[in-house]
Amino acid sequence: MKHSERLPETYLISRWQQLCKGDKSAFGEITEHNYAALYHYGTRFTADRDMIKDCLQDLFLEIWEKRESLSYISAIKPYLFQSLRNNLIHRVRRQSVFSEIKDNDPCDELSPESDWIINETDQLTANRLKKAIESLPKRQKEALYLKYYENLSYDEIASVMGLQRQAVANYLQYGIQKLREYLQHAVISLAASAFLFWY
Amino acid sequence: MNNYKSFEVRDWLEDLKFQRWVYHGESDDFWQNFLRDNPLQVANIELAKETLLSVRGEQDLISEKEVKYRVARILEAIPNEEKEPFLPWWSGNWLRVAAIFLVMTGFGMVFFKGKNFSAQFLPLSSTGIRDNQKPQMLEVVNKTSTIRLVNLPDGSSVILKKNARISYPKQFDKDKREVSMTGEAFFEVVKNPEQPFLVYTGSMVTKVKGTSFSIRANDEDEEVKLVVKTGIVEVSANDPDRIKAHKEIRKIVLKPNEQVTFNRKSLSMVTKMVAQPVLIDLSVEKQDFEFKRTPLNEVFAALEKTYGLTIRFDKAAVSNCTITAKLGDEPVTEKLEMICAVVNAKFESRNGVISVTSGGCE
Repeated sequence: MKHSERLPETYLISRWQQLCKGDKSAFGEITEHNYAALYHYGTRFTADRDMIKDCLQDLFLEIWEKRESLSYISAIKPYLFQSLRNNLIHRVRRQSVFSEIKDNDPCDELSPESDWIINETDQLTANRLKKAIESLPKRQKEALYLKYYENLSYDEIASVMGLQRQAVANYLQYGIQKLREYLQHAVISLAASAFLFWY
Repeated sequence: MNNYKSFEVRDWLEDLKFQRWVYHGESDDFWQNFLRDNPLQVANIELAKETLLSVRGEQDLISEKEVKYRVARILEAIPNEEKEPFLPWWSGNWLRVAAIFLVMTGFGMVFFKGKNFSAQFLPLSSTGIRDNQKPQMLEVVNKTSTIRLVNLPDGSSVILKKNARISYPKQFDKDKREVSMTGEAFFEVVKNPEQPFLVYTGSMVTKVKGTSFSIRANDEDEEVKLVVKTGIVEVSANDPDRIKAHKEIRKIVLKPNEQVTFNRKSLSMVTKMVAQPVLIDLSVEKQDFEFKRTPLNEVFAALEKTYGLTIRFDKAAVSNCTITAKLGDEPVTEKLEMICAVVNAKFESRNGVISVTSGGCE
């Protein structure tokens, strides 16, 4: 993921404009630059890694296909996230049709809880983090992810998730509050031991 | 950074430099030193760090190598210049492709009048293996003035043009599928390497190896022509004398856009390349069924027109359904299966009429 973090925004926007004019190398660069972050975001929705990669291929080919009509886009990352999200949700729904899984609310089929497991070496920490994040509703988790991990603004998160800005603000506020409360107690003891260790 | 000492957990959460350390390990020395110099912040930082990590969730990183590979694949999928790309939405194993071929024997019906049709065409008697247990033969002649669709026992489909005729067993042999025909026809054959599909057109035999191609076998002509659309097709002479003598039969293997001209009398074969694998005037011959957010009713209309089908469906129920797909040389039933799978619909065929029932698309 690191390699995708550090290109200046203005550079990316100019590359995007070149892409829209049919520049294949710009297309390749934009694709490579965003692939890992989009893939990771995709793992929030499904454990089917191949499906994510399929969706990403579709997504970028579609961008190339309609590149001429995309030059108005300045917020590239939110646009890509939003597109992948729609694409994935659509597929997950369709797949549930294939596998005859019936559920009244398709949104609840997304993001199996296991996908939010924290992969940390410290089992205790991992369990605590896992429990903390699992205690949140899915949309709160997603909003938090987009804000803190992907650094999207409220407006950008709203457009990616198809929500009102205020809803995003609420999700974030309650979500982070709840996480902190959940983690607080345990962390104090952990921090205390760290403190002792350093001194 | 100056006020880091007075930061609370919520401040840490919002701090970009701090986030980058937590998520990407940036400036690790700085943060280790800071923790050492600011023991009162340790608790806050730990809590903020854990909160951020729990927000990130499971790390499922994709390697840079794989990203490069994936991007290369995407770039490969881009067509050169202005050709429109398509979005492959089905996985490879969906495609049990199919062989298409067209057989054209125009005037030749006269030639066969009064003769035993199946004896003339089916090689069963000439090979002399199954004389005693010939399967029940079915024959379909298109006496209408339009095209007529015939579904074969293996799921393959044939479009017969006017006056075309096909003869096939009610049930194919286990080791091969043999049909014979005259007239103009278009075949879409289910791929099954274990059970080759053989078309007998007089003295020419065409063996399908899982592909698509066209044959033109005018009986009043001395020549039979065949063009491959995709894949590989094997053509040989149906020469009973040589078979009896266990002599080698000459075979020609054809690849896409290769055309063979077969001489019925001399049994000679001449090949050449052609620009387009089109032999008879059927839309399906060059049809590629490429749909891009095409409304379902238009998709059905295309199938109806191409295959001469009648498809019944509730227009209102499917008004929101669109298809983005590139269908290939699958027999028509497979095409319908694919389409219905995508739009959450079912279909059944009765008396030549396809009825589609759909729950609609959102």
